[in-house]
Amino acid sequence: MSNQATLSLRKDWDGGVSPFGVSYGKLFMWFFLVSDALTFSSLLCAYGFMRHKFAGDWAVPNKVFTHFPFVEGSHPLAYVGFMTFDLIMSSVTMVLAVEAGHRLNRKQVSVWLLLTIIGGLIFVGSQCWEWYHFIVGEESVQGYRDYLMNGKHIINPHFQGANLIVNAYTQLPTFGDFFFCITGFHGFHVFSGVIINIVMLIMVLNGVMDRRGHYEMIEKAGLYWHFVDLVWVFVFTFFYLL
Amino acid sequence: MDFFEEYKGYPNYEKAAIHDEAHGKPVRKKLWMVFWIMLIITIGELIIGSQFNFTEINKEYTFIFLTLVKAFFIVWVFMHLGDERRAMKYAIIAPYTLFIFYLAFMAITEGVYSKVIRDALVTVVLHQ
Repeated sequence: MSNQATLSLRKDWDGGVSPFGVSYGKLFMWFFLVSDALTFSSLLCAYGFMRHKFAGDWAVPNKVFTHFPFVEGSHPLAYVGFMTFDLIMSSVTMVLAVEAGHRLNRKQVSVWLLLTIIGGLIFVGSQCWEWYHFIVGEESVQGYRDYLMNGKHIINPHFQGANLIVNAYTQLPTFGDFFFCITGFHGFHVFSGVIINIVMLIMVLNGVMDRRGHYEMIEKAGLYWHFVDLVWVFVFTFFYLL
Repeated sequence: MDFFEEYKGYPNYEKAAIHDEAHGKPVRKKLWMVFWIMLIITIGELIIGSQFNFTEINKEYTFIFLTLVKAFFIVWVFMHLGDERRAMKYAIIAPYTLFIFYLAFMAITEGVYSKVIRDALVTVVLHQ
C-alpha cells in the first residue's frame, strides 16, 4: 500500500477525539444495536432450524392469522399488513423528527415525535389484539376460561387457539413457543421505544435540546426506533409470509 | 454544563449534521421517496403471500430478497449509515454480516439434516 493510501485510510478511521468522527453516544448506540441485532438474529436462526427440521408439519401462516378487527370472516395477512404499514409510517415520522432536529426546529420535532409515539402505541395495541386472537382462537372467552380452570386443553381434541404447551394449528408446541418468544421480545422493544420517545418528547418540550444547542438525542432515539422497525421487517417475513 | 465543552478544541460532532431550510428540502424528498418504495414492496409482498401460487422455493427467495432490500433502505437512509464514513460502515456491517450469514447457514443446514435423520428414524420405528 502506498503512503498516500495509508494516510487516507488512517484519516477515515481517525476522528480526532472520537472514532469515525461521530459522537460517543451515537457510536455506542450503534454498537448496542449491533449486539441487539445479534440477539434477534440468533432467535430467528433458531426458528429457521426448527422450521426446517419440522418442514411439512409446520403451521401455514395464511390459515392462522386471518382475523381483522370489526370485520367478520377470513382475511389472511390483512391485519399484519396494516401493522407493518403502521410501523414503517412511524419510522418515517421519526426520521422526519430527526431531520427537523437538524434544522433546530423545536415545534416540528415535537409534532413528528408525537406522531411517532401514536404510531408506536397503535402497533403495541395491535399486537395485544393479535396475541389475544392467537391465544383464544375461535373460542369464546368463556370457553377459554374453562380451559384455564379445568386444564382440559391437553386432552380436548377440539382445542382452539394456542398457548405454550399446545396449539390448534399444528402438532408442534414449538410453533407457539417461537411465536410468543420472538414477537413478544420484539413487542417489548417497541414498548421501550415508545417510552424512550415519550421521554424525548418531554425533554424537547422542556427546551433541554435547545439549551444544548443540538438535537442529537433525537437522532439516537431515532436509531433505536428504526432498529425496531428493521427487526419487524424480518419477523414479518419469517413468521407471517414464509 | 457538558464535560467536553470545557475541553478546548473538541470538534462538535453533535452539530455536524445541522443544516438550514434549503438543505432540508432534498433530504425530506429522499425520505418520502424511500417511504413509497418500502410501501410498494410491502404491498407486493402481501399480494404475493396471499394470492400467487409460486413454487415454494421461488416464493422463499423472493421474500428474503425483498426483505433484504427493505432492510438496506432502513439502515442506509433512515438510520443515516449511508452518510457516515466508510470505516464506520465497515465497523457496523462487516462483523454482523459475517457472523449472521454463517449462523444462518449452519442453522439451516443442520435443520435440513435433522429432518432427514428424523424421517429415517420414524420410518424405522414404523416398520418394526
